[in-house]
Amino acid sequence: MIWVTWRQFRAQALTVLALLAAAAIGFLITGLRMHHNYSAALAACAPLHACDGATPAARALGAQLSQLQRSYEPVLMLLQLLVIAVPALIGIFWGAPLIGRELETGTHQLAWNQTVTRTRWLAVKLTVVGVAAIATAAILSWLLTWWAGPLDQLSGDRWAAMTFASRDIVPLGYAAFTFALGTTLGLLLRRTLPAMAVTLAVFIAIQILVPTLIRPHLLPSTTTTFPINQASTSQFHGFSGTQTDFHFDLPTPQGAWLTSQPPVKNSSGQVVRIDSYPECFPDSQGDAPDLSQIGACLAKDNLHQTVTYHPASHYWPLQWMETGIFLVLAGALAGTCLWWIRRRQN
Amino acid sequence: MNAILQAHALGKRYGQRQALADCTLDFPLGRVVGLVGPNGAGKTTLLKIACGMLAPTTGRIEVLGEQPNGATAQLARVGYVAQDTPTYASLSVADHLKFGAKMNPAWDAKLAQARVEQLGLNPKQKAGKLSGGQRAQLALTMAVAKRPELLILDEPVASLDPLARRDFLRHLMESVAEHDTSVILSSHLVSDLERVCDYLVVLVSSRVQLAGETDDLLAQHHRIVCTRRQESDLPAGLEVISAEHTDRQSTFVVRSDSELPAGDWSAEHLELEDLVLTYLERPVEHGGDTAMQPTGAAR
Repeated sequence: MIWVTWRQFRAQALTVLALLAAAAIGFLITGLRMHHNYSAALAACAPLHACDGATPAARALGAQLSQLQRSYEPVLMLLQLLVIAVPALIGIFWGAPLIGRELETGTHQLAWNQTVTRTRWLAVKLTVVGVAAIATAAILSWLLTWWAGPLDQLSGDRWAAMTFASRDIVPLGYAAFTFALGTTLGLLLRRTLPAMAVTLAVFIAIQILVPTLIRPHLLPSTTTTFPINQASTSQFHGFSGTQTDFHFDLPTPQGAWLTSQPPVKNSSGQVVRIDSYPECFPDSQGDAPDLSQIGACLAKDNLHQTVTYHPASHYWPLQWMETGIFLVLAGALAGTCLWWIRRRQN
Repeated sequence: MNAILQAHALGKRYGQRQALADCTLDFPLGRVVGLVGPNGAGKTTLLKIACGMLAPTTGRIEVLGEQPNGATAQLARVGYVAQDTPTYASLSVADHLKFGAKMNPAWDAKLAQARVEQLGLNPKQKAGKLSGGQRAQLALTMAVAKRPELLILDEPVASLDPLARRDFLRHLMESVAEHDTSVILSSHLVSDLERVCDYLVVLVSSRVQLAGETDDLLAQHHRIVCTRRQESDLPAGLEVISAEHTDRQSTFVVRSDSELPAGDWSAEHLELEDLVLTYLERPVEHGGDTAMQPTGAAR
């Protein structure tokens, strides 16, 4: 049965293997050069203690690192997109046809009348191709995580939707899930093309919903409230306002994931407007506003602002949880397939 | 176990559509059973139930003394060639044989090899590039090399040209004789089955219209031509299957389990094809699709 699965899966597997090898070579060639430049620049920084220090030499090195980061930005975006797209492609080209094509062409009638139960036939297919799917995602994710290491260090942001979903172990969960999803849809819809389309649609919906609605709530986040006065605003990083509200960029611990930063409110919890305090916001268009001055001016009004974030220590727990959730969903879909194929005789 | 297949009040319903109804059958072991009926009569449904691909909605069925349940023990005993003889288009003939070998503990590799050579199939040829006849032969090889006790074939020759048709049936009969296999084979053409079947079932509008040993059926049915008369004027014990009347003459097809009584008529036996056609044209008694022409319509 394993030979049978391999024989039917061979063409797709070899295609992906070739693409993986090409990707690995590309990652290695560009990655080694970047890693070299990065560590050279860092090594030069060491005697100066910091790359963004006060001396011109340190500033030059800092600029050099920023330049490095900027120059790889487009490639990074492309590679991230690739690692995110691979689970979708696996679901579409490995999952949907796995059973769907058999039902479509009638070959399931040949397969199901050999001396192998349908359950075993399906279980072996799911296992062999499923493991290949997870392995493919693992290799690509590992390559990207290594490749983008210096760039992630420089940007200090591991939480952007594209970043989080394309590094470490999360891609494995997505690959397992979309593969199982494609297989299930192929089995239920009995046609390959519609199964492919629905798989893609569900995958896109998940990529939009998970970072916005699910990931932030998997672990309890931390909310800190800052009063608005001279002492606090002097630590704030920035300010922005619109016609209806305004907010400061509040300080969060290093490496934290800022999930929500609602506008400034008064003591009764209502959002306040800039034009309620004309004396505090001089029309200084263009110049960066003096935050401590604004804070001093607003202090008497008893205003406050909150910020909600996940500390950096939540990174790995969230990676594990999201991976776990999608592995469980994949398992549930595989179970559905096995149950369906045994119960629904067709 | 002394029957290929025993069905009692077997029925299958897809939503509103009754695909098979009240089907009671008993096929003796070692027979080549022919299943005839127009397209959509329920032949495929019955065969799929027999090999465990479909579960019946009502009634009981036993194949080789066991309920078809999709377990390996039963799968090993029944070979099935589905309608349109599906094969994997991208796999070669040799791959198909290896597929069979890996999937069946009782696989007879020598037999499969010999058949492929005898058929002149190129082992490297992809199944998708085979002609319809070659593909059917490959599917039959797969089913035969599994060494089943019962071979079920659903319209295996429907898409073949007359020459390939004859070839296929000849090969089927050779291998059946050699391995003492029982066969159930369906077709919408009687001529396909005439030469190979020794047991016949006529299925019309999801119901069994006629079932029995071919020789018995031929012996029991007569066509009588006599002066014009009503059915009720015929002697008792004759079941009228069809009646046609002209101004002066009546023609009946009758079934008589005992010997046909002598009378003022000329009687003759029917060809198998005529016999089956008579039943195909007979109105279906209970419910079902009544698109059939009423018997005796002037032609």
